[in-house]
Amino acid sequence: MMRRDAVIIGAGPAGMSAAIAMAEAGLKPTVIDENAQTGGQIYRQRPSTRNHRAAPSHNGVVADRGADLRRRFDAVSDRIELLCNRQVWGIFESNRLAVTAPHRWQMIEAEHLLLAPGAYEYVPPFPGWTLPGVLTPGAAQIMTKTQAVLPGQRVLVAGTGPFLLVVAAALHEAGVNVLGVVEAVSRAELLRCGWRLFADLGLLREGGGYLRKLRRAGIPIYDGRIIVGASGDGEVSHVKFAACDRSWRPKKNRSQVIEVDTLCVGYGFVPRTELAQLAGCQLRWSNELGGWIPLIDAGQQTTVRGVWAAGDGAGVAGALVAQEEGTLAGLAMARQLGAIDDDCFEARRRPVVRRLARLRRFRAALDSLSRIRVGLDELCTDETIVCRCEELTQTEIDKGIDAGNNDLRSLKVATRLGMGPCQGRMCAPAMARHLAWRTGQAMDQSTPLQVRPPIVPLTLGDLAEPVSMDLPVQEQMLRETIA
Amino acid sequence: MKPSHDVIVVGGGVFGSAVAFELAKRSVRVLLIDQSLPGRATSASAGGLWPVGEVVGLGCGIIYHAAQRDGPYEVSVPDVLPQVFRDFLVESNRLFPSVAQELQDVSAVDVEYAPGGGLIFLMYTLQDQAIVDAVARTLPDKGILELLTPDEVFELEPSITRNVIGGARLAEEHQVNPMLLAEAFKRAAVAKGATLRHGTQVSRLQRCGDRIEGVLVDEEFLAAPMTVNAAGAWAASLAATAGIELPIEPVRGQVVLTETLPQVLGTCVSTVNCYLMQKSHGEVLIGSTTERVGFDVSVTEQAISTLCAGAAKAVPMLRDANIKRVWAGLRPGTPDELPILGPVEGIEGIVNAAGGFRTGIVASALVARVIAQHIIGEEPAFNIDPFLASRFVAQAA
Repeated sequence: MMRRDAVIIGAGPAGMSAAIAMAEAGLKPTVIDENAQTGGQIYRQRPSTRNHRAAPSHNGVVADRGADLRRRFDAVSDRIELLCNRQVWGIFESNRLAVTAPHRWQMIEAEHLLLAPGAYEYVPPFPGWTLPGVLTPGAAQIMTKTQAVLPGQRVLVAGTGPFLLVVAAALHEAGVNVLGVVEAVSRAELLRCGWRLFADLGLLREGGGYLRKLRRAGIPIYDGRIIVGASGDGEVSHVKFAACDRSWRPKKNRSQVIEVDTLCVGYGFVPRTELAQLAGCQLRWSNELGGWIPLIDAGQQTTVRGVWAAGDGAGVAGALVAQEEGTLAGLAMARQLGAIDDDCFEARRRPVVRRLARLRRFRAALDSLSRIRVGLDELCTDETIVCRCEELTQTEIDKGIDAGNNDLRSLKVATRLGMGPCQGRMCAPAMARHLAWRTGQAMDQSTPLQVRPPIVPLTLGDLAEPVSMDLPVQEQMLRETIA
Repeated sequence: MKPSHDVIVVGGGVFGSAVAFELAKRSVRVLLIDQSLPGRATSASAGGLWPVGEVVGLGCGIIYHAAQRDGPYEVSVPDVLPQVFRDFLVESNRLFPSVAQELQDVSAVDVEYAPGGGLIFLMYTLQDQAIVDAVARTLPDKGILELLTPDEVFELEPSITRNVIGGARLAEEHQVNPMLLAEAFKRAAVAKGATLRHGTQVSRLQRCGDRIEGVLVDEEFLAAPMTVNAAGAWAASLAATAGIELPIEPVRGQVVLTETLPQVLGTCVSTVNCYLMQKSHGEVLIGSTTERVGFDVSVTEQAISTLCAGAAKAVPMLRDANIKRVWAGLRPGTPDELPILGPVEGIEGIVNAAGGFRTGIVASALVARVIAQHIIGEEPAFNIDPFLASRFVAQAA
């Protein structure tokens, strides 16, 4: 088995920043990522091999920040062991990682482990959400950015949060006819608490930039409106949205229908906590940070000694917060490994903590705007499929709840909710809300579904192979760096 | 004060739920207290109804015995459990078609009782053949165990590897969905008037002299003239709160489940490495380890890999199937592999329905019936003396 002092799972903003902090402290961290390149979702790079004829060369502030982070990462990359195209499918005894490699797998023992897996998009069930042609904004972004495939010709982008603007702008630049952006938060509400967004002028300006870009392109913003249903024969062809109140409850008489071939819908993000759960970390519920998150201390360490968490996977707060949290975790790990002393740790930590405090004020304002509201939980009809893998309707779930299954785990046993290949990643956040609503429980009393390995698709044949002992990188280079 | 319940059943696994149902059916006012701890055997079970297979060791037993002896499976011949237990399981198994129907009627839950082609033990080697021969000699009625040639195995199950020297088939062995079985018993019990307290921990049994007077839930005392210990792998801990010794300890079983597949297997298949059965939702379940590691419900990469290798050897086409999940459960293991049923010597007000080990699902139908009959003072349909807890005391003395 490979043994490593410090392993980082995830090469997005948090993981990259942690790796930089550790490398600069003289350590040799190992970074594992499922993608072919660093950057995660937000700083996703175009594949180097593909020739994009229509690709815009410049994608604004976000791309600039990604490029900047990558430059800093590359500057110390000789001290970073980067394992791309690999997925961690299980964690055993809190620090032994089962990692996929093409047609085999191997174990890596991580003495110090940072979890920086990022987040999923939150897509609550609504009538028609399972139709082909309904996808998440993030999926549309991957299609256009990485696979050079346009998700559709007539696309409506909907949900809540600034990410919708980023995706709408990117789709427009790639040549898609973006029919509009449906944002659940109303302009009036945005203006009312918008002053708090002035905590970070740069980010505010950035949001404004996207808005101007869309306006110039003639793309309407339907604010204070919510998607109530999608329909179509075999694929989505019509989307209905309606004006909604501050609880996001649609006003039935004020709806409109538009013709689309694609609907991109997402209501913010849910932290990916599978790895933390497999490592045995205690979770807590945070409405503002996207749901269940690992409980962490001031240095980003979880309740399991030797396991840290940073970035959206530790609470959704965006790429900038993720970078600072990653740096913080990297410094804490470097101190624990004895690479830097307490004074150096304090000196490097202080500016990070200051920046984080400011960013978090901005985020708090944003989060209070884009928090999930009850109207969204009420869109399903009795026949709406709520668990896609097992094709369970709202009625079937309600029968299970009414039979006394008042927590997700027993509801799973009773109804097969979350028993499919996604293990509840898709349905559990929405169903946890629904369960709480129907039983009158508080969300912070709910417990998430148990996570079982493998958390990534893996064939029985892959697993039947004995553990591979091969080192994944040049043995020579490692010997040098470790020595 | 008159207690509001006649019987409190502690444990909502398959035994507890089934007992609650049988009692409620007989108009007994029953309270079922369920905590649903991680690792509950009912939720981890494969759901095989293998009365003979398990008794002669051709189900999970062969793996268990190899683990007990700490040797390779190939040189291990499983022990055969007593005839009386086989009779008990065969009788319980016989009840399943009608129990499944009854549960469907009362609870509207389909327990997915699936009579299939039986259970086939695959023989890869002459040693496997020797195991089968040894087992066959213990069976008085020769018709039960049918020996198959490789061609007959192939005809019955085309997806099985052709690299076998034969098979041994037990035709009357079927399967059920164990989680739905417990859920159906529970809902049926409620439909018949039982009270269910879900997600509730019993902190201890309330003992006064030689009598159990009820249970404590947090600080609340719930009184009942009779308490049933159906706490599965935790039954010993519960009994210990009243100073009662029960030789039940958790035996971990790790299980691998594939994604939903088109029909691959119509029979349950067992080998010296693992057993396989395709559940009614199309997933193939591969079990199972037998490990004494206390209440640890984690899985290990080695066990997963070994089970997958065993499955790939038996059914090569499974190599390309995705794994959906892997988990572990805690069988309530007893020293002689038989359940612990009935009253406790010298103590009133308590009855055991525990120690289901690897046959809890198939035993549940009859266990529930005899426990309910015992509690209301009827002559049990099956003599439970061989399963009394006192058998261990007698041994020790």
